[in-house]
Amino acid sequence: MSGILINNNNSFRENLWRHFIVAIPYIWLLLFFLAPFVIVFKISLADPIIAQPPFTPFFNEGKNGGISIYTTFDNFFYLFQDSLYFVTYLNSVKLAFIATVFTLLIGYPIAYGIARSPQPIRNILLLLVVIPFWISFLLRVYSWMGILKTNGLINGFLLWLGLIDQPLQLLYTDTAVYIGMVYSYLPYMILPLYANLVKLDVRLLEAASDLGAKRWQGFLDVTLPLSIPGIIAGCLLVFIPAIGEYVIPALLGGADTLMIGRVLFDEFFLNRDWPVASAVAIVLLLLLVLPIVYFQKRQAQDNSEVVV
Amino acid sequence: MTINEKNYIEIKGVSKNFGDVIAVDNVDLAIKKGELFSILGASGSGKTTLLRILAGLETPSQGSIMIDDMDMTTMAPYDRPVNIMFQNYALFPHMSVFDNIAYGLKKEGETKEIIEEKVQRMLSLVKLEGYDSRKPNQLSGGQSQRVALARSLIKEPKVLLLDEPMAALDKKLRQSTQFELMDIHDQLGITFVIVTHDQEEAMTLSDRIAIMEQGQFIQIGSPNLIYENPESKFVADFLGNINLLDADMIENDQNRILLKCKALGGQLSLSNAHDFNGSGQISVALRPEKIMIQKEFPSEEVKNYVKGVVEDFGYFGNLSIYRVRTESGEIIQVSKQNRDRAVQSIKWEDEVYLSWENKNLMLLGE
Repeated sequence: MSGILINNNNSFRENLWRHFIVAIPYIWLLLFFLAPFVIVFKISLADPIIAQPPFTPFFNEGKNGGISIYTTFDNFFYLFQDSLYFVTYLNSVKLAFIATVFTLLIGYPIAYGIARSPQPIRNILLLLVVIPFWISFLLRVYSWMGILKTNGLINGFLLWLGLIDQPLQLLYTDTAVYIGMVYSYLPYMILPLYANLVKLDVRLLEAASDLGAKRWQGFLDVTLPLSIPGIIAGCLLVFIPAIGEYVIPALLGGADTLMIGRVLFDEFFLNRDWPVASAVAIVLLLLLVLPIVYFQKRQAQDNSEVVV
Repeated sequence: MTINEKNYIEIKGVSKNFGDVIAVDNVDLAIKKGELFSILGASGSGKTTLLRILAGLETPSQGSIMIDDMDMTTMAPYDRPVNIMFQNYALFPHMSVFDNIAYGLKKEGETKEIIEEKVQRMLSLVKLEGYDSRKPNQLSGGQSQRVALARSLIKEPKVLLLDEPMAALDKKLRQSTQFELMDIHDQLGITFVIVTHDQEEAMTLSDRIAIMEQGQFIQIGSPNLIYENPESKFVADFLGNINLLDADMIENDQNRILLKCKALGGQLSLSNAHDFNGSGQISVALRPEKIMIQKEFPSEEVKNYVKGVVEDFGYFGNLSIYRVRTESGEIIQVSKQNRDRAVQSIKWEDEVYLSWENKNLMLLGE
């Protein structure tokens, strides 16, 4: 009997331990994501005032000593009334989308090449992909300014070659933003794609080849469809941060490069309109989360179909 | 099944090196049309490499390969009239059973109607009607194997290569599948080349077997020939159970062999039926099923016998296997068919007499 009791005790302790470990990330998310989100959401329901903090309080002392709650959806309505926000959202989506497509087009061959190279070289190549992370993101974007500016590296090189006789306007354009984004987010595309492609069973390609598929057909019929999960993961990892990107458009983009991150910054720090800025943030979040939830649900369905 | 006398597959002087490792070492082989040919060998013997060379998945370092009078040596796999069934089937996991089987035809650019018809015919051949829309991960091991077989047969290749076709199946299923595979072979008349490490599988399936070791063929012949007339100790030991006993050649002329074998009780006089020309230290090989075991003293007619003690035995139902230590100290394995429903009469420590006929002795040099 006593043995069983001890066992139960142990498994109880183990269970507690397991729950505790699982709970850590949730507690972390609760403290540093959900709580700030609730605060931002609360601010988005307030009116801006000139005060410290610059918005109306959520709880008010009522006339009779009770507590009343003040909320308004004006900020959200405002977002829909002023076309600036709609255009900016759209432009952010467009910029992020195009940047993601380019990242995919450049990242896929790189990931493929790494996955197909022999083991020792593979690790070196992977290291090279990750190495830029060791330098501050801001610093790297600044150095792109040096490369792209009027008397920068690229223009200097093209002038030297004689291909142009006037420096090109590269910096402060959408092109510069694309270059910056593709450059910055490329590792986020390569790593999940690599993780997927390296698992691909080479015998499947041999089977395709044996059954009459040329190499490119084998790629289209086998490699590409089987790497779709990697493509989706990589695209999400690039698209999501790209859509809310602030630093790259602020440093490399022109005055007309409208991105939601910049609008948010301006509302917050220049206009000191915290409620509208908060509303912008909330809408952006919904815009991102809803498609992902839909996608996840679909993937879960696909997986459940697999049950024998 | 008809086997033409003309060679259908001709492998001439084929070698394959991977760096310093010689996987296939100057191999010659001729296979007839419609033959069911097995390459039997332990892992690392080079058998799979040879199969992959036939499929075009590896290019030989040396030598040439002809199939039906066409030079295949450097032909790309997608151009060869050869298909392979991979060891773990390599089914396309994202395609349905139908699309897997249809793949080869689609690459040939066949019309939808023909594809539909041929796939359905193939599904019925491998007894998988109604499984068209399943995905590979919804299939059992046996079903996956059938899909792989159907996929590799759909293009009606001149030669079908099978890499360890049964290795992933459990024993019961393996036996029934072996017979089905032979059926399919007989129905289609396609030349099969099977690579396997399982000697039982090779024996059951094949018209001929090639035994491969260290990149070379050691012996090629029908299962019966290889089993009863192995040319070397390695082959004798590799195929089935055998007693390999040391002996000294005393006299060897064209008609008669006189040798001394301690384990078999001293001098043996044999007629030289197989032109054996070894001398000095040789081995006498005797299969366990060709030895009689009994407790009673052998009758007058029995000339060759030796006395021993049962050291161990295994009861397998249909037969029992005894390990008997002879008077000279060697262990001899004997198997006995359990023909009667009787209680096992020979037990541990029993004194027994082992007898054999001299014609069943095989003489093997080093």
